[in-house]
Amino acid sequence: MLKFDSKFYDFYTHPDSPGLLAAEAKRYGYSGIVVTNTKINEEIFTPDDFSIYRGVEIQARPSRIREEIKKYRNSNFISIVRGGEEEINRASVESEGLDILLQPAEFNNVLAKAASDNSVAIGFSLGLLIRLRGDARIRELKNMMMVIKHARRYKLKMILTSDSRTIYDLRSPREMVAISSLFGMTQSEAIAAMSAIPADILRRKSRNYIQEGIEIL
Amino acid sequence: MKTLPTLREKKRYIAFEINSEKMIIRQELVREIFNSTISLFGDTGASEINPALMSFEGKFGILRCTRDKTNKTRVCLACINNIRGIRVSIRVLGISGTIKGATERFIQQSLIKGSEPEKRTKKE
Repeated sequence: MLKFDSKFYDFYTHPDSPGLLAAEAKRYGYSGIVVTNTKINEEIFTPDDFSIYRGVEIQARPSRIREEIKKYRNSNFISIVRGGEEEINRASVESEGLDILLQPAEFNNVLAKAASDNSVAIGFSLGLLIRLRGDARIRELKNMMMVIKHARRYKLKMILTSDSRTIYDLRSPREMVAISSLFGMTQSEAIAAMSAIPADILRRKSRNYIQEGIEIL
Repeated sequence: MKTLPTLREKKRYIAFEINSEKMIIRQELVREIFNSTISLFGDTGASEINPALMSFEGKFGILRCTRDKTNKTRVCLACINNIRGIRVSIRVLGISGTIKGATERFIQQSLIKGSEPEKRTKKE
């Protein structure tokens, strides 16, 4: 299928051994991953035609989260906040410079509007659907259905992540598309969430980018 | 008695590859596939999908399902993450209309691909 020819990225992994995960991801058909937990100076073995980007997962109290996001605003780290209660979601969505808000537990039209103003992407963690069973998974699915409704209405960017720690958590792009159909994502949306939108975030994080529409050539 | 060809259930064969920590026994895999299907789609959904493991030998396997439920079957396979405490991930290699097609086009192909780099390193 031609649709699956584009470059795929997995935007939230926190592996114990990044080199191993990268090799496996390449075999699965990805062309880049974002590693969030490893130290900055650490050297990672990268396979050919594959890129590992650094990300940072911001964990703080809701009152401190704005300052934490500001710290990473002009760096080339991809900043991710794991969503939860409404206070955390609100603080992260309203501060400019955040890239991804992952799996918010509560979401409403006010938050969606703020996210679209600050161009924060909403991340769906499919690893939860793979790992959980029973009522916990039902809760997450219900949640994701609600978030996707708001995201469509306000044309938010959506991102699919595997949330993987080991190579056994990783799934190939086609499987990710299939899983995302569980909460009502269409195939084209899912493919964009793994290829076009991550590429757009990387473009914004590159050094030549200044502002929307202005770029050094 | 034979059923008429037009009334026969249309099926597809999914070739898949298992990536696991240890070897997996066929029975346990079958049980886990059923568990995953029932947990996701319930009893009615599982009866519509009608999964059946045709063959399996440690790493590669072929699963039969209904023709228009291939995507759901893919989800069921993707949602398996451990079999009796052994961590696994399943990747679908391809979908075919015949068992022969699935073995020749996907499993043999990936066997050839998988063994190539090893040969090269041995020569060096």
